[in-house]
Amino acid sequence: MSTNSIKLIASDIDRGLAELVAKRLGLPLTPVEFKRDSNKEVLFSIGESIRDEDIYIIMQIGAGPVNDKVFELLIMLNACRAASARRITAVLPNFPYARQDRKDKSRAPITAKLMADMLTTAGCDHVITMDLHAAQIQGFFDSPVDNLYAEPSVVRYIKEKIDMKNAIIISPDAGGAKRAAGLADKLDLNFALIHKERARANEVSRMVLVGDVTDKICIIVDDMADTCGTLAKAADVLLDNGAKSVIAIVTHGILSGKAIQNINNSRLERVVCTNTVPFESKLSQCPKLDSLDISGVLAEAIRRLHNGESISFLFTNAPY
Amino acid sequence: MRKCKVFVGNSHPQLGNLVCENLGIEPAPATLKKFANGETSVQIGVSVRDEDVYIIQSSSQDINDHIMELLILISACKGGSAAKITAVIPQFPYSKQSKMKKHRGAITARMLANLLVMAGADHVVSMDLHASQMQGFFSKPVDNLYAGPTLAKWIKENIPDHKDAVVVSKNPGGTKRVTALADRLKINFAMIHTDRRRTVDGFNGLMKHRHCKKSPESASSGSSVQDNIASADIQTARIVKGHVLDDDGSLTVESTPPCKPTLHHKESELNFENNDSDDEDEPEFNAEEKLITLVGNVQNRPAIIVDDMIDKHTSFIAAAEHLRMNCGAKSCYIVATHGIFNTDCLGRLNDCPYIDGVIVTNTYPISEESMKKFKKLTVIDVSPIFAECIRRDHFGESISVLFDSLASIV
Repeated sequence: MSTNSIKLIASDIDRGLAELVAKRLGLPLTPVEFKRDSNKEVLFSIGESIRDEDIYIIMQIGAGPVNDKVFELLIMLNACRAASARRITAVLPNFPYARQDRKDKSRAPITAKLMADMLTTAGCDHVITMDLHAAQIQGFFDSPVDNLYAEPSVVRYIKEKIDMKNAIIISPDAGGAKRAAGLADKLDLNFALIHKERARANEVSRMVLVGDVTDKICIIVDDMADTCGTLAKAADVLLDNGAKSVIAIVTHGILSGKAIQNINNSRLERVVCTNTVPFESKLSQCPKLDSLDISGVLAEAIRRLHNGESISFLFTNAPY
Repeated sequence: MRKCKVFVGNSHPQLGNLVCENLGIEPAPATLKKFANGETSVQIGVSVRDEDVYIIQSSSQDINDHIMELLILISACKGGSAAKITAVIPQFPYSKQSKMKKHRGAITARMLANLLVMAGADHVVSMDLHASQMQGFFSKPVDNLYAGPTLAKWIKENIPDHKDAVVVSKNPGGTKRVTALADRLKINFAMIHTDRRRTVDGFNGLMKHRHCKKSPESASSGSSVQDNIASADIQTARIVKGHVLDDDGSLTVESTPPCKPTLHHKESELNFENNDSDDEDEPEFNAEEKLITLVGNVQNRPAIIVDDMIDKHTSFIAAAEHLRMNCGAKSCYIVATHGIFNTDCLGRLNDCPYIDGVIVTNTYPISEESMKKFKKLTVIDVSPIFAECIRRDHFGESISVLFDSLASIV
């Protein structure tokens, strides 16, 4: 008789999120062994039988050696496939290369599609991810993709940790207006929007604020923060227009390059990122950073997926 | 053009024939008909062995039949040993269903992409895809052409004071599309946001704020940081039943008698598009009232509302009313790539006194009769773009010149 139980597998680097998920599910992480050659080739083996089991590979990919991690993931997927797993689910809270999702210039590659094809080829049957940069990426896969939302967790964070009565939701660009409006709707707050006017002949491009932020606590929401230059500029615009303070909440805090420096030098009061991307090491360098744990959402999604229950509950509710 | 055959599907023969005319060739002979039981039958009347085959098929009212026809045509050419098969789909069908709506939705555009590749298409050419990410649905190359340069040319030639004009996006999702056109024409742009949630209270609050803020703002504007301007340009109004209300709350336009509530209910239930918070989709006008807000300045200027397709009229009419009545626009034009025009859409747009012109391209079939009947409608021919794309593709030349400077349109 097969048991067909959940097996959680994680890389040996950046296991933080995987350990939190495992703890919530009350399961141990499957023992695995990694060996890295000096030329960075990876040798991977699984320490126990996974025949006919339901495999979840949890991988946090953020800044830094993205390609190494992607390759590691592909090797892990393929190893599980070769070891006769029944179903293999890649849990990728931050989908790598999600920003290269279209041919924005002539002859530009659609790397997100390539990633999807590579995962499928390696043996991936199902993908769990969070706040995809463009929802269309779901369509790049022929296998099912569950796109979870950080929004319910963000709603709870705002309710618990921010003086909500006096707050306003801000979208840092025109493209994020929908996300901001949705969140404002949930919290019954007003929302405003900043947009960058294109530079035209003899004119400097300028940031335009639409809406009233006087004496308000501004909450900037976005799906991704990379170098944080835009966030810092947005904070300047808001404070110059009479805002009381500015807090940024982003789902994927990639925080690469000069991000920490930019945040420290900016007038932002706080930057909250979820732990879809490993950034624990950066917390000590930057007192303004705060983390928001979404392991509960992932754990619940894994549990529901394994038991064949509906996941749509998680689109509007954040499990404790 | 040697070793090249162009087939024209039944969905939009006018466009296909124009493309062939531009290329200086005859459409390749094919018999496309239907069996009595509704099945499509395709017979190709010429050898396609080792040829470069182009099949032109757009969407139409009989969308599913024409998709099937296209798939069978592709498959027949594949079976006839064609060297390369390119599907030219000026308006990609099902392109609005390009992402999963929150619960268990199908990504039909992706499915269609898979079907095309499975049938044997090696290359796809389309125009102004609803979401440019759709290019990633195909495992084959996709060329997404832009109607922008053609539309911009029309605006330059036909709108007298276009240098003063403002291009307007009728929803936040389309802003990027609009900025590209604004950059090309070197004119300003503005954006309309329709708020589904806020009601009279929110409106009154906004109004109060607007009135009381005016004086200090003008005083402080000189000293404020040069890079920023505050919210001086917001104009807000209420919409009830799809029409804009005046500040004092009287319904100014009484065009059509409101339909029976039961019908509305049924409509909104059937129309899944409306139930979802898709950015590009029009708000539900049969629901309670909402707020419409213009960001930007159109005072005494012509306003040009730009979008990728026109299928329903409601949000366009609300936007036009708002621009003309409350924001002081001098005139209002609606410009879009794909004129799909559901049922009475064209009639309503034509009858709306606040709209001066509706400009679309001929990617989607529009009947001769409507072209004659509706005086405000202008249809621009884009067949030269497709012809040039086919010619360049056949001879292996770069087509990026066709994108012009509008490659940044999203």
